[in-house]
Amino acid sequence: MKKLLTTILSLGLAASAALAANPAITAVKVSDSLDMIKADSDLWSKAKFETVVLYPQTAIEFNDKKANAYVANMKGKKAQVAALHDGKNIAIMVKWADKTKDVEQCMSSDVYTDGFAVQFAGATKKAEPLPYIGMGSAGRPVVVHLQKATAKVYEPNGNKDVATQINRQQTGVFGQELAEYDAKVASLAKTDYEKVFVAEGFRSTTEIKDNSVKSNGAMVHSPAGWSGTLSRPLKDEYVNLSGTVPVAIAVWDGSTMGRNGLKNLSSWVAINLEGQKANTAMVADLSTDAKGDAAKGKEAAMTNGCTGCHQMSAEDAQSLLGPSLKNVGGYATAAYLRESILKPSAVVVPGYNRNAHANTPWYNIEKGKRVSTMTDFSFLDKATVDDIVAYLKTLKSEVE
Amino acid sequence: MSKRQLAMVMDLNKCIGCQTCTVACKTQWTNRNGREYMYWNNVETYPGTGYPKNWMELGGGFDAAGDLQPGVIPNLEADYGVPWDYNYESLMGGQADSNTFHPHISPTWGPNWDEDQGAGAFPQDNYFFYLPRICNHCTNPGCLSACPRDAIFKREEDGVVLVDLDRCQGYRYCIAGCPYKKIYFNPKISKSEKCILCFPRIEQGLPPACAQQCVGRIRFVGFLDDEESQVYKLVHKYKVALGLRSDYGTQPNVYYIPPTESPAKFDAEGKIIEGSTRLPIEELEKLFGPAVHDSIKTLKDEMKKRKETGVSELLDLLIAYQHSDMFRLDNHYYQEVAKAAKRNPLAPVDTRYIAGKFTKAGGHH
Repeated sequence: MKKLLTTILSLGLAASAALAANPAITAVKVSDSLDMIKADSDLWSKAKFETVVLYPQTAIEFNDKKANAYVANMKGKKAQVAALHDGKNIAIMVKWADKTKDVEQCMSSDVYTDGFAVQFAGATKKAEPLPYIGMGSAGRPVVVHLQKATAKVYEPNGNKDVATQINRQQTGVFGQELAEYDAKVASLAKTDYEKVFVAEGFRSTTEIKDNSVKSNGAMVHSPAGWSGTLSRPLKDEYVNLSGTVPVAIAVWDGSTMGRNGLKNLSSWVAINLEGQKANTAMVADLSTDAKGDAAKGKEAAMTNGCTGCHQMSAEDAQSLLGPSLKNVGGYATAAYLRESILKPSAVVVPGYNRNAHANTPWYNIEKGKRVSTMTDFSFLDKATVDDIVAYLKTLKSEVE
Repeated sequence: MSKRQLAMVMDLNKCIGCQTCTVACKTQWTNRNGREYMYWNNVETYPGTGYPKNWMELGGGFDAAGDLQPGVIPNLEADYGVPWDYNYESLMGGQADSNTFHPHISPTWGPNWDEDQGAGAFPQDNYFFYLPRICNHCTNPGCLSACPRDAIFKREEDGVVLVDLDRCQGYRYCIAGCPYKKIYFNPKISKSEKCILCFPRIEQGLPPACAQQCVGRIRFVGFLDDEESQVYKLVHKYKVALGLRSDYGTQPNVYYIPPTESPAKFDAEGKIIEGSTRLPIEELEKLFGPAVHDSIKTLKDEMKKRKETGVSELLDLLIAYQHSDMFRLDNHYYQEVAKAAKRNPLAPVDTRYIAGKFTKAGGHH
């Protein structure tokens, strides 16, 4: 028994690393069309759910004082994720615990909503390296489907229907006529806050408004939490999904002021389309643990001064220069971490507005390209890089 | 920084707190479609809580090192105040509660809740003055720096700060980032909105509605690089107009002539204390910085000069004889800008994204 305990203790680090990799998900092939599938469809009984852990986004800190107090205590969330496909469409269900149902009633200035998003890699000549998890990067676009729990949104629809924009008390009508006016206004509201975005890096995110992407999203709440469903075509103008489909999941909790980067997100997760040839290299990259010795990697990270610009744990000061890495093991892939160490300028997202911290520029623009101010660590030997990557993969918060 | 910068100067000596500017703005822009609670232009009593409640304590702006400071997003009911309505319908219909005229909610807060309260003890040394506020169309806007979506932009041609509603996703970091809390969340459309300096009027050579309607004629509007404009003369030539809370580091472009004179205090017997002034200079220093001393000195010197010689360009200017002199807006300039951009008229869009930078053909309108 004592020996077993010792073994478990000595494997402690390895065991926590083992939690890093999310299992590959099999998208079960069904014959029914999935383009209009809802959460209550019987087809979901065929789906095989896997646990995917979503970690709090802490790479950058936003300027909302109250929300940041929540971020400080955020933990990883477990989500149950399953997928189906019909040869033309992919459908994904995400189930996560959330005791508070926060639906935007469009009545207040400081109320936020629950929601979820699914990110797909945009079509590029080479599938790998995968886009940066935080909304892609230059030349490696992503398409993000966002579903929020919002009651009714009155977006300016460009139809110049200004007559229905006025305050009801200024209409000059009462009784039945006023009721008719209210009904007219209500009919112009969007009742589903579902959007699709294309992005080449955080901050560049742009909504696709020309209906060129089909999206069928919905959210259903039960006492246990939310079930979010999304279906979309496997191929369109922006994506070309086959074999193994990398997706990333994010969820927002309105009760902790979640929106935008104030969220929990997963790393890239591999979904194998049943009946198609899987991309075994990608599955291996996303579903197995990073090689390398995390303990040695920690030492190497210290020796090479990573903490000079990066917050590695909650005890380190938050730096304005480099993104915080305290949850990077939760959402970055090993391949991305390796690339960032060896070629820091390979992925430099437009990121947070540099004017917010004008005296700590984390990139310079040279010949129209963003060049990271980070030192190039390509001089490190392969084993050391592997060790550092293994260490970085251990950096993540506890899971709820 | 934009190529040119429009600016407004407000003469606080002449503001009577009549709220005509507030109403001009409200009826023009904010009486509908989720903007009902917003006051892009408000006139608050200083000292006081201001609008939204205690806005000076809600963070935002930049520190001395140039780093954006975190801020707090005000609550609609508690900090802005919900616009309440009355039971018109039941009164008209003779229903049960029609014998009383009452608001539909019990109001707990609203703009100017503390109007005219001020500070000090009446009648010995009480004091207050009115502080009209609009968006400062800052040279270094806190809202713009806080936006993680590039949804806020500063127009090249005149420095007007606008929200691109197409890009805005309603995250509200801009509200935390603006130290003046002059950008608002529209809950109905789930996007941020703010004072647009009446750019559709400006482009036609007309001043913003608040300035046009001001009965005290306290507002001057013009380009800061136009040496003929009264704005230039007040800000740069005489240096009597100062930015509000410049210590927030956003380089505001609305300037104020500080209150120059205030009545003397009374002693216990109700007699005037000669040489005393009710308005503590420390309060003005807090609002307008140390330059307020020079500004007041210049104003007093010019008043003296006017009394002695009958001549003072500065005082003539502050008398505000003609709207045509107070507002120097050049619609020809805007026509040329529109022509150069091959657009007519200028559209309220952010040209950085007009071609659909990150979407394919037709993706972004």
